[in-house]
Amino acid sequence: MNADAISKAVRDLPSLPAVVSELLASMGQEDLDTHALAAKITLDQALTAKTLRLANSSFYGLPTKVTSIQQAVAVLGFHSIRTLVTACAVTGSFAATPAGGLDFQQFWRHAVASAACARVLAPYCRINPDTAFTAGLLHDLGTLVLATRFPLEYQQVMAYQRQHDCLCASAEQAVFGVDHAAVGSALAAHWKFPPAIQAAVAQHHQEPAPAALGMQLPLATLIHLANVLAHALDLAEREDEQAPPLSLAAWQALDLSAVACGKVFQDSEQLFHDMCQVLPP
Amino acid sequence: MPSAGHTCEIALEQAEAGMTLGAALLDAHGSVLLPQDAALTESMLASLRRRGIERCVVWQAADAPDPAALERLREQRLQRLEQVFRHCAHAEGSQALLTQLRRYRAQQT
Repeated sequence: MNADAISKAVRDLPSLPAVVSELLASMGQEDLDTHALAAKITLDQALTAKTLRLANSSFYGLPTKVTSIQQAVAVLGFHSIRTLVTACAVTGSFAATPAGGLDFQQFWRHAVASAACARVLAPYCRINPDTAFTAGLLHDLGTLVLATRFPLEYQQVMAYQRQHDCLCASAEQAVFGVDHAAVGSALAAHWKFPPAIQAAVAQHHQEPAPAALGMQLPLATLIHLANVLAHALDLAEREDEQAPPLSLAAWQALDLSAVACGKVFQDSEQLFHDMCQVLPP
Repeated sequence: MPSAGHTCEIALEQAEAGMTLGAALLDAHGSVLLPQDAALTESMLASLRRRGIERCVVWQAADAPDPAALERLREQRLQRLEQVFRHCAHAEGSQALLTQLRRYRAQQT
């Protein structure tokens, strides 16, 4: 396996619907034309149908069924709909392909868990919670590229991981020579994710850059923390679950009191259980 | 408490406001006076007494949890936590997080 084959596999993936790139780019923008964006979502019928199905799921408990994106935006808010549309579009790009022995349920549970942890930690990092949630959801996309495009090799990754009880990134390095963070970063660039989300996908296993106390932390630092916390809270229900190493600088930058820690853990678990009902794999 | 799953039949004199009916209360003709899971109030009890109702079925309060079983669960949670952090002995950030998680898991009920 070489880097060229992997980047070709990334290039061969279907493009995300253009409106999803626009939705991702709209995160953090102040003057949003939500009506124009809702109208654009409506042009993609498959995406609209999936999003409405989720909006009508029992989780939201809407008194009446929403039948248009505009109505869903009015009832649930633009931020919720943006998250739902993005999640639908991204998982839709991989759904129909064989997955090299990857347990997709577990994969998705970890993605939702990381998203929930990122959202709960976001205020402590002075980061927009919706951006945090979406970045958490997308941070391991590279795993899906490797597992679905190279299923035979990915089975070796899983066997290597079982044998050595190591992190999946180490097993991927051993088999592919790259890990899911690097592959995800290439995909995030191919799909024109906003630069902060690209960086978060690329760097979530790295020691984060130091940040001054009281300043906004980089999104990549938040996703590093959220990924570790999602593993540490044991939310994906993996028997061989292990917490990856956590950067002391990133932990200290959160500046959490013992009471705040307890609240973060509890809120993350609660949000994870709620979101599992909304975002099925 | 409906979640406890046990009901018992008691004399109306023993019924107190705040108890929850474990079965619908019917009059002599089989009409429902109060549905199952209705929370009894003083005025309901007075009304039932006036109607000559003598007995009712209520949900029993949950049994007190077994302290030994709770302790075992707590031990299991803490052991699982150490297992998840098995490769983090040298990561200082992980150790700081682990300290907080130990406290959280120990206090969970």
